[in-house]
Parts: sequence; structure tokens; C-alpha cells
Amino acid sequence: MSALLQVEKLEVVYGRAITAIQGITLNANKGEIVALLGTNGAGKTTTLRAISGFLGLDDARVTEGAIHFKNENLANRPPYLITKLGIVLVPERDKVFPNLSVVENLAASVPASGADRKRLEEMTFAFFPKLAELRARTAGLLSGGERQMLALASAIVCGPELLLVDELSLGLAPVVVEDLAQRLVEIRNQLGITILLVEQNAAVALSIADRGYVLENGRVVLDGDATRLKNHPDIQEFYLGGAGERRSYRDVKQYRRSRRWYG
Amino acid sequence: MQLAINIAVLAAIYALIACGYVLIYRVSRVLNLAHGELMMLSSYLLLTTASLFSGNPLIALGVAVGLSLCVGVLVYLFLMRRMTGEMVLAAVLTTVALGVLLRGLVVLIWSAQQQNPAQALGWVNYSLPVFGGRISAAGAGLIMTTALVYVGLFLFLRFTRYGIRMRAAGQNPLLAAQRGISLHVIYALAWGLSTLTGALAGILISLDSGLDSTMVLIGLKAFPAALVGGLDSLAGALIGALIIAAAEVLMIYYVDALLSDVVPFLVLILMLIVRPWGLFGTREELDRV
Repeated sequence: MSALLQVEKLEVVYGRAITAIQGITLNANKGEIVALLGTNGAGKTTTLRAISGFLGLDDARVTEGAIHFKNENLANRPPYLITKLGIVLVPERDKVFPNLSVVENLAASVPASGADRKRLEEMTFAFFPKLAELRARTAGLLSGGERQMLALASAIVCGPELLLVDELSLGLAPVVVEDLAQRLVEIRNQLGITILLVEQNAAVALSIADRGYVLENGRVVLDGDATRLKNHPDIQEFYLGGAGERRSYRDVKQYRRSRRWYG
Repeated sequence: MQLAINIAVLAAIYALIACGYVLIYRVSRVLNLAHGELMMLSSYLLLTTASLFSGNPLIALGVAVGLSLCVGVLVYLFLMRRMTGEMVLAAVLTTVALGVLLRGLVVLIWSAQQQNPAQALGWVNYSLPVFGGRISAAGAGLIMTTALVYVGLFLFLRFTRYGIRMRAAGQNPLLAAQRGISLHVIYALAWGLSTLTGALAGILISLDSGLDSTMVLIGLKAFPAALVGGLDSLAGALIGALIIAAAEVLMIYYVDALLSDVVPFLVLILMLIVRPWGLFGTREELDRV
């Protein structure tokens, strides 16, 4: 059986010169949570933007490879049609409409073809009961955690089969991140949605993921199931803050950098 | 009392035209400087439909308004759509070029002579007594239409799915696309609605005082109303229109009628000095202009 999402030998170039992604191959099967880990500039967000059709806005383009979703090639599709196909992105920043209320934010979402809006709206309030209490509040007045809930809820109303979540933990307290991560697992379990989770916080991502990919300089340097990745010495040392042997100056630099993220 | 009636009629005209500027700006950040010309085109379309459906003024009016909505949508689809992603300045200059083109086309097709759509429709513009003053039937129609349009737009933007999507697209087009909203549909809708409201203003003005190519000036004078109120606010457009109309009528009444074309721009300059983002506009919006 072919995967729900297949990214094959993808190469993305910004402008005419900067190759941000150099031949990435990855896939996500139905109902899986797949983590995409890596440092700043590793190509995680570019990969998500390539899948969701937003490369053109950054003067970037796919120069090699292909992205298939349910065996359909996503090349040259505008973002809103990719959303209607069932791929919905929860962006890293600017994830809600600040001048619209919570309910209006949900109403602005356009469900994918065949999705039942009413049922999806009811389910979002079941996943995020706090949003039901705040339904009339202007989104710009919500806390960071509530905004992230609203962003996820708005994405769910689109009826996705594949949810692309960019930096779930960015700027949030650990307890909020843990709670949101558990909600993602519930969403996957109840709706059967596949989730591609881009994270710098490897501990959180690997705690809920089934599989993962580690990106460095636009290439996949490590992949496998989440347990294997968690126990891998490089992941332990560079991503989970373990104290392994430092092998070279470059490694030490990278290690210090990664320590800063988790510090 | 007559002074108040005159102010109310002129404010209704400016408010009806200004909401067209606001609709397009709010959704796509583009200043449509061809709005006056599109309004004039709609009035000339009424001339044509009046002769096509002679004896059926309501059908002629309805078809003219419907055609105007289509013109707005077509302008977006065939012209402004190609400006998506380009600099806002390029889009604004395109509307200037469109305005010049429409002015030429109108003279070419309908001639530069003064026309009388009311006569073509077989309609008499009665003068009605009201609160001790007098108002023309078209003037009363303008006030009622403006009230209906503003209430309708408020309800549409606040409570309908497409209205909410329109507000969402205006706030963050990128996120709107991520939520599955087709920006082209929303922009086309905004252009259609904007031209429709302009058409209502143009048609009622032409029924009141005849029609020639100087109607463009009225469209231009409504632009300060939108700016004074704040370009991204419909309520602001309403208040701005009232301020501009009051200043203009009072200046005509107490100083000199020759100042009527200058007053709106004087008020605009004053507002730009004191509060450049308008009464109800936001600073951030002005930064983008």
C-alpha cells in the first residue's frame, strides 16, 4: 500500500542560488504522527511550505523531485486547492485572524470536499473545551496557548487528512506544550488524521510520534521509528541534551547550539 | 432645516461611494482610483437598459445594477487578478489607467452631451415636503439606499460565511489561503460589491441631476470621505462622509458656492496633518498605503 504523503528526492531553491532542500525523501502513512526534527535552517519549514504550496511567496521553487498526496502530484496547485484536497498547515506564526472572534475564526475555515462542517466544529469544541468558553472573544486577546488551540481547531474544521504542524511548542510553557501534544494524539486517534509535526523540541515530538526524520542542511541524516530515534546516541547527545563524547569542534559547536534550544 | 436635508443627501452620496473604496481597500489593500469612472459607467448602462426595456423602469434599473456588478467582477478577473502578488503601487496605477480608459469609452459610446436617465425611464423626480424643507424623490432614495447598503454590508460582513472570509482575507491573506479560502473569489466578490454600491450611487445621482462625464468628480470627492473616516473602516466612511458633506454645504451656504469642489480636499489635508490614519482607521493600515 502506498503512503498517504510521499515526498521523493525533493530539491527546493530560494531565488536562483540558495538550495534549501537537497533531495529529501520522506513519507507519512495514514493515521501516523511523523516528526520532522532539525536545527534552524535545516529545511523543516521549507519542506512544509513545499507540501502546502506556499513556496512561490518566498521566491522559492521545487527544482527536482515530486510530492504526492493520495497518489496525486501536488505540483503547481495553489494553496487553497491543496487545503481542499485535505492538507492543512498550522503555521509557526500569525496562525489566527486577530480581529475575528474565536467562532468567526472557525467559520472562516473552508472544509475540504465532502467534510461535514457541523460535525467537525462540534469535535473541535470537544477537543478544546476552553475554546467553547471563549467563543465570543477576539482572537487577538487570547493567550499563546489558546491561540495555538484555536489554530489547531481552525485547521481541523478544514477536514484535513494530513495536518502539517509547524513548531507546536514555539513560545509556550512546557505544561501547555505537553497538553497540546496530548490533544494532537487524541485528534489522531479519534479522527484518523495523519500529522506531520515540525519541531525543534525533539523531546516533545518524539514522545508522541510514531516515526521521525532528522534534517541537517537540507538533507535527511537520520530516520526511523520514534523509539529508535530516542535511543540513538546522536539524538541523545545533540537533541535530547545527553552528555556524550564530543567528537570534533564542529560537533561541539552544534552541541552547544542544540543546548541553547533546550537550555 | 433645508440645510440639514442638503447635508444628509450629500452625506448619503459620499457614504455610498466611499464604502466602495473601503470594501476593496479593506480586502486587498488596493486603492481603486477608477471607482468614480465605474460609477459613471453604471449610470450610462442605465441609459442603455432604459431604452432596451422602455416602459419597464424597474427591470431597466435591475438589469443596470446587475450589469454593474458583473463589470466589477470582470474588472477583477481580467485586469486586477493579474496584479495579485505585484506591488500595490502597480495595482493602483492600473486602476488609474482603467479610469482614463473608461472615461474615453463612455464619451465614445454615449457622447459627451448631458443625458437624462430619468426622462429615458419615464420617471418624474418629484420634490417632496419633509420636516419643513423639501427633498427630491431621488435624494430620499439616496438616503434610504445608503442606510440599506450599510446595514446590509454590516450584516453580510458580520454574520455570513463569505463576509467573515472577506474580513479574514483582508487581515491575513496567507492564512486565509491556508484555511482553504480562494482569494480570487473573495477579491472578485469585493470588486463586484464595490462596483454595485458605486452603481447605486451613480444611478440615483443621475436620476436626480442628469448625467455627463463630470460625474467622475463626485466619485473623486467621495475619496476624502473614505480617507477622513479611515480607509479600512466602513463606519469611518459613514462619519467621514457626514463631515465632508457638512463642511461642503456650510461653505457653499455661508461663503461661496465656487468652493464646493475644494472643500473635501481641504478637510482631507487637515485630517492628514492631524491624524493621517483617519478617524477610525488604524496606524498599521496607513503604513501599508
